[in-house]
Amino acid sequence: MLGKIGRRQKIKAGHVLMWEGDEAPVVANVLDGVLKMVVSAADGREQIVGVVFPSDFIGRPFGKETPYSVTAMTDAEMCIFNRKAFDEFASSHPDLQQKLLRRTLDELDRARHWMMLLGRKTASEKIASFLLEMSERLSGQGCEAGVRASFELPFGRQQIADILGLTIETTSRQLTKMRADGLLDLPSRREIVIQDRNALELLAG
Amino acid sequence: MWTYLPELLDRPVPRYTSYPTAMEFSDAVGAGDFVAALDDVAQGTPISLYVHIPFCEQICWYCGCNTGAAGRKQRLSDYLDALKREITMVARRLGGRGKVQRIAFGGGSPNAIAPVEFIRLLDHIITIFDAGQPNISVELDPRGFTPEWSMALSAAGVDRVSLGVQTFAAHVQQRIGRIQPKADIEDAVASLRSHGIEQVNFDLMFGLPGQSLTDLDDTLSQTIDLAPSRISLFGYAHLPALLPRQRRIDGSNLPDHELRFRQAHRGYQRLTEAGYQAIGFDHFARPEDALAKASMRGKVRRNFQGFTEDQSDVLIGFGASAISQFSRLICQNEKRVGVYRDRVNARDWAAERGVKISADDQQRGEIIRGILCQGRAKIPHAMLYSARDALVKYEVHGLMMWRQNELILPSYALPYARLIAAEFDRLRGNVTSEYQMA
Repeated sequence: MLGKIGRRQKIKAGHVLMWEGDEAPVVANVLDGVLKMVVSAADGREQIVGVVFPSDFIGRPFGKETPYSVTAMTDAEMCIFNRKAFDEFASSHPDLQQKLLRRTLDELDRARHWMMLLGRKTASEKIASFLLEMSERLSGQGCEAGVRASFELPFGRQQIADILGLTIETTSRQLTKMRADGLLDLPSRREIVIQDRNALELLAG
Repeated sequence: MWTYLPELLDRPVPRYTSYPTAMEFSDAVGAGDFVAALDDVAQGTPISLYVHIPFCEQICWYCGCNTGAAGRKQRLSDYLDALKREITMVARRLGGRGKVQRIAFGGGSPNAIAPVEFIRLLDHIITIFDAGQPNISVELDPRGFTPEWSMALSAAGVDRVSLGVQTFAAHVQQRIGRIQPKADIEDAVASLRSHGIEQVNFDLMFGLPGQSLTDLDDTLSQTIDLAPSRISLFGYAHLPALLPRQRRIDGSNLPDHELRFRQAHRGYQRLTEAGYQAIGFDHFARPEDALAKASMRGKVRRNFQGFTEDQSDVLIGFGASAISQFSRLICQNEKRVGVYRDRVNARDWAAERGVKISADDQQRGEIIRGILCQGRAKIPHAMLYSARDALVKYEVHGLMMWRQNELILPSYALPYARLIAAEFDRLRGNVTSEYQMA
């Protein structure tokens, strides 16, 4: 039913999501891929207020006339809704209304999480908390529930560095050091195996 | 023991939620001054935000707040869009200077909007100001408060809520147009507590039409049973000429001056006996409450919402009629909701009137706040001579004393604190500075 008022849109990695059809702010459901939501400040600084994964809902209105923008970190696909139409639809469906509240609260939670993560002081703290966050976010998809020790990052080191505001050299150096210290293993460019979660949590601060 | 001295109490004086007071606001101050004050905010300055929601499900007759009937949904959502736009404009202008530490939602009734709209608004403020863990407080109308609201407030990390209780006496509720069964309050408190929100304020009133001492006593007993962490006990001000909605209240059976005095006294006695600490002249807090702790350390301050433990020097208000305060400026947004919305949508600043705070005002303001919040103030040399003169009429009744250049109020002088403070008001009092006279 909700599908009727939504429209699917594919978006290539690295691109900012543009919604051509409508000037009004939109909200979206992530169907596939990983995207980051950014709010731009007056001085040109970009603040990441969330990284979203499949099945996440982006309830902050983005598009023209809003301070938010969405950039795909991998090839992605979303279902996009006109916000006004979405709200009207939700208000006539009580269970959807409740779900919307829940998801809006989740989004607020995620934003706070990111702020805390990005507010960490050292590179090792940032990377450790980022990996813990990713292990949580990337688990629980598919059949296995719970947090898995091993997962594949949907993007490379350059993007980790970009998100955390670090250089790629620092990022790689820290990952190598964590492996040398026995905290994790890096079987391939994107695969991460957490070997000592307690130590990683300690490092995250 | 409080003594009733009608000859002293005869004079109406402001509540000094600010100094200079809102009565001194004029359109000599405007948006340009507001923007200049924003530009003056230094990196890392602690900032508090106030967000005004000028809507209520039902309008009570006694209320002096800027609020209107929630009515049409579209009107609310247009207002919220404008509010977010104003917040974005200010955040961009600040460009990351200043650290938001507190957010207060007031009204009206913030719960006149839907929970999801409230969360969206909060989310917007937190992300746009990069304020991860602020202290958040929300005023609530217990009527129409739902468990869904408790869940949302708790999940959003709201720290404190303030419930408009006013009175438990049914016949008084009828006279002020606010029918509110006790069960509404009990349910709201229980639901908030079960969701982990322990910091609950009650707003109570005395001086209401037909309200007897017994009525007040009953309300106080029921309040003490429900054990809120903070209580404010305000005196009702009947100003039908100024506030048209008060014309529905029959002014013929309002408590007289002396009964009002006794009601305030009874409130003070009952609440302090029940273990509350008196804060300023109309707030009470449990000893473990942040306000009581601040009071122990002499750190209570005054702001537009009353007495507070908030230590920020910058307060930015958003929404129709919201007031912002900086060290050298107080300014207020356009009051009319429609005009406010149009202005913000045209990318104009909403600030339109206010007052500048001179060095002399700053000095006087500090003394007034000291008297009201701490019951003491050090008087600078230039004012000392005229202050000693102006305060003799209180001194002879033992309502204040001098310890060198510091004036000190005993606890029983509480009902006179505003009057003593008003002597230091440049427009209303008799204390002058030597350099002013020169």
